[in-house]
Amino acid sequence: MSESKRKTPQPPLFDDAQETVEAIHRGIVDAVVVMKGSEGPQIIMLQGADEPYRVLVERMSEGALTFGPDGVILYVNGRLCELTGYRAERLVHRDFATLFEGEAPTLAPNISLEASLLRNDDTSLPVSVWAGPISIGDSSATLVTLTDLSVHRRAEQIAAAERFSRSVLEQSTNAILVLAPDGRITHASWMAAELARQPPVGHTFSEAFPLEAESGTQAGTLAHFSAASLDTLLATKPFHGVEVRLQSEDAGKRTFLLSAGPLLDDTRASVGSIVTLTDVTERKRAEEQLTMLVAELNHRVKNILAIVQSVARQTIRSSGSLANFMHAFSGRLRALAIAHDILTQTRWIGIGLKELLTAVLAPHLSAEEERVTMEGPPVLLSARAVMPLSMALHELTTNAAKYGALSVRGGRIDVSWTLTGGEDQSVELSWRERGGPKVERGTSSGFGTVLIDRVITYDLDGTTKIDFDPSGVRCTLTFPLRDQAKSPVNTPRSAID
Amino acid sequence: MTEKDGYNLRLYVAGQTPRSVAAIANLKKICEQHLVGRYEIEVVDLMKDPALAQRHQIVAIPTLIRQLPEPLKRIIGDLSNLEKVLVGLDIRPT
Repeated sequence: MSESKRKTPQPPLFDDAQETVEAIHRGIVDAVVVMKGSEGPQIIMLQGADEPYRVLVERMSEGALTFGPDGVILYVNGRLCELTGYRAERLVHRDFATLFEGEAPTLAPNISLEASLLRNDDTSLPVSVWAGPISIGDSSATLVTLTDLSVHRRAEQIAAAERFSRSVLEQSTNAILVLAPDGRITHASWMAAELARQPPVGHTFSEAFPLEAESGTQAGTLAHFSAASLDTLLATKPFHGVEVRLQSEDAGKRTFLLSAGPLLDDTRASVGSIVTLTDVTERKRAEEQLTMLVAELNHRVKNILAIVQSVARQTIRSSGSLANFMHAFSGRLRALAIAHDILTQTRWIGIGLKELLTAVLAPHLSAEEERVTMEGPPVLLSARAVMPLSMALHELTTNAAKYGALSVRGGRIDVSWTLTGGEDQSVELSWRERGGPKVERGTSSGFGTVLIDRVITYDLDGTTKIDFDPSGVRCTLTFPLRDQAKSPVNTPRSAID
Repeated sequence: MTEKDGYNLRLYVAGQTPRSVAAIANLKKICEQHLVGRYEIEVVDLMKDPALAQRHQIVAIPTLIRQLPEPLKRIIGDLSNLEKVLVGLDIRPT
């Protein structure tokens, strides 16, 4: 290098210019400064000078490419090859639009768009596409970066699943708890927090939910466990549906099913457990009611069988022939069936006296001809009274149809009733026949009157008075209205021989 | 630099081109070996402001300018030839 003797900067001398050319030739410079008219000095990179940028672009975690004005890809980086599964040679010279599924994204400078990048295995990858203009030499081109969104999407899906799980846990109507392996509660559903004696997270199960060991449920099974061993049991062993009650004023009246199951990670290793407390109070109540109903039904079936047996036996005694027996017995069974239907329809509550009379006398009630009159105040018969009264009225009706007012045209029956007495009200029911054949004493004696007397006396604690007046049978039945202490589940005394 | 025999050096580079990066490294090494405590370096990136090239009429990059001691001297290239740099900057080997 020649040494300059000038003290102020001067334009490069020939030596400088020569040295510059030599330096460029030897490759020890990689950029030159040129004057470009009014724009002033410009830096021009010599060949290879963009190497650091090329390395940066090759190493970057996003896909990158450039394409020319005609859309032909000029360059792709390694990451884009990874994303598409194609080697660079297969991508360069392709049309940019062919990289995408469906229509290519409509690029705008410095705006990111989402698109589906096609892969060589016929799948597609969600990507974010960014584009910006660049110059290569004298021509313009477009620089594009593509960011893989699948990881982002997966993270979003995981976050959504997490939110969903949390929402299930929070909003479940069951009390759900997540326990760490040491037995401490890490998550609690809203319902669990409501049931707990104190905010449950951070406490052990036995601290937050002390069990009522003295209750009559299966809690006794757990009573011999200490609090610590119960917590360990819940955190480590699966078990299902142990009935418990909690030491709590509100929840203590309710029954819960306590269940626990291990919580496993991807490697099937236990990372804690899920404990649920399911409120089964209503279910237990329904079960108890069902058990009671079945027991009562058993009693009632036995009672009816006892009544049927008794009626059969006594009908045989008073029947002269098999034909008579069949006729009388089936009529009485019908009376029982009517009573039973009424009880079933009214759910064993009972029925009005007038409704019972209407049901029993139905075959003889006619819209055209009023043969039966009924008159009296509203009376609700108890379930216990329905069957004996139904049978007594059936006997009276059958007798009237065979021998009395209902056996001829123009015959009438007047049924009336009154309530007597104060708190312990009694019903006095009057049955009067008229217009029938002349009644001869003893015509309807036999099991009919015996049965009426038996059921009214024994089953209703009442009295019977039957008068065979020649102008028509007169019968007065008197019985207390109020249901006596006798339960309908007991066998009627009239059926006990 | 006010010290009488101090060296004030200005290196013109163009971003992170290989020769620019090499020149920075070589200059630092030479100064530490031969001008310990007697130099000041200023690196000018012409990629950021090409107009700065006019002050010393830079043509090729990298170029090193010895501003002090006078007279002004210029060395073009990546400063990989040690002997040439020492001669060019008029540094006597220590």
